[in-house]
Amino acid sequence: MAKSDDGIRILQGLLIFGNVIIGMCGIALTAECIFFVSDPHGLYSLLEATENDDIYAAAWIGIFVGFALFALSILGIVAVIKSSRTLLMVYIILMLITYAFEMASCITAATQRDFLTENHFLKQMLERYKKSNTDNNNDKRRSEEVTKTWDKLMLQNECCGVYGPFDWQNYTSVFRITHSDADYPWPHNCCVTNAQGSPIDLNGCKLGVPGYYHSKGCYDAISGPMNTHAWGVAWFGFAILCWTFFVLLGTMFYWSRVEY
Amino acid sequence: ALLPYVPRVPPRALLGKVTATTFTLEMPCCAFNGHTNASDTVWLVVAFANASDTFRNPLSQKDVPLYEQLPSAHSYMTLEASVAAYSCSAPSSAVLRVGGDTACGGQGSRDPCNGPLPSPGPYRVKFLVMGCHGPKAETRWSDPILLRR
Repeated sequence: MAKSDDGIRILQGLLIFGNVIIGMCGIALTAECIFFVSDPHGLYSLLEATENDDIYAAAWIGIFVGFALFALSILGIVAVIKSSRTLLMVYIILMLITYAFEMASCITAATQRDFLTENHFLKQMLERYKKSNTDNNNDKRRSEEVTKTWDKLMLQNECCGVYGPFDWQNYTSVFRITHSDADYPWPHNCCVTNAQGSPIDLNGCKLGVPGYYHSKGCYDAISGPMNTHAWGVAWFGFAILCWTFFVLLGTMFYWSRVEY
Repeated sequence: ALLPYVPRVPPRALLGKVTATTFTLEMPCCAFNGHTNASDTVWLVVAFANASDTFRNPLSQKDVPLYEQLPSAHSYMTLEASVAAYSCSAPSSAVLRVGGDTACGGQGSRDPCNGPLPSPGPYRVKFLVMGCHGPKAETRWSDPILLRR
């Protein structure tokens, strides 16, 4: 029958087009997640120290899912062209499994954003920055990582603390145990430094004279990249899933129409 | 002689002017003009707010209560400086930081120590001009200064 033949041809064309898009999106997802996992801003240790690094798990899953989507899209194109029921069935099953993984990754990334609040980072900074009497090796390593990350953050972004330098005055911290209030009202990394890396006026910095210390908080420098990361993984993933849903529906309909 | 100057924490925006163990005062520029000789020294008297009324000016240099005596005498004197440091030509934006010296206060030292304050206070301060025969002039007591907890 010419009419249904035409219809089947159109469906085949649409499915191949859908799979091509899925393949390209799979590559894009892999590339995006590799970028996030490589941690260009060096913020991973802040999350790892609180055992709240699920966004990174979501990004890792995204890498493998993207690759799987690419491979499956090739399988899908071959299956549609050959009109083979077995190949189509294999494609549908594997695609459903990949779909489930990607759904998990997106939901994880989307919900983890709620944990990235100012108080979360403030608490961790006060409990770990320059901690000296650590309980065990794990604690020591995490505290050193947090200290290194914060020092780098404060120097590069010209900021201090989460809300500002007064975090160290308003709240108790492990920093205060080893650094006296008179010499270190806030860490010396909050001071404006010269080209050699030493503070231009330590007394001005300690007194809080404008221009000799960094007055803004670092929260924006932390939450900006992390939110981009979480949104990138979550919403691009959801977009791919929407598209894949329709392609899967079309494939199942096509499978039911193909004769043995 | 009682001078009308009242010491105070500088009103301008300095984030670290009052911390948990230190506080900052405006420099008393030009406050001692006409009442002093060039050889006199100006001391800062720091006392707990409830002990300021019972503070008696020391009669000579050797009676000056130092930083180590704060727990017992409830007051001490520090920031010994010559009168020239507070002359009218000194920069008006300069400040004095009380409690900023963490290296002093060792046993047996007789130098005036400007060590960190041990408790949040509140404290009251005044400037006292000491000549070679004893106290010559003083400013009024400041308002109570409460440190951060």
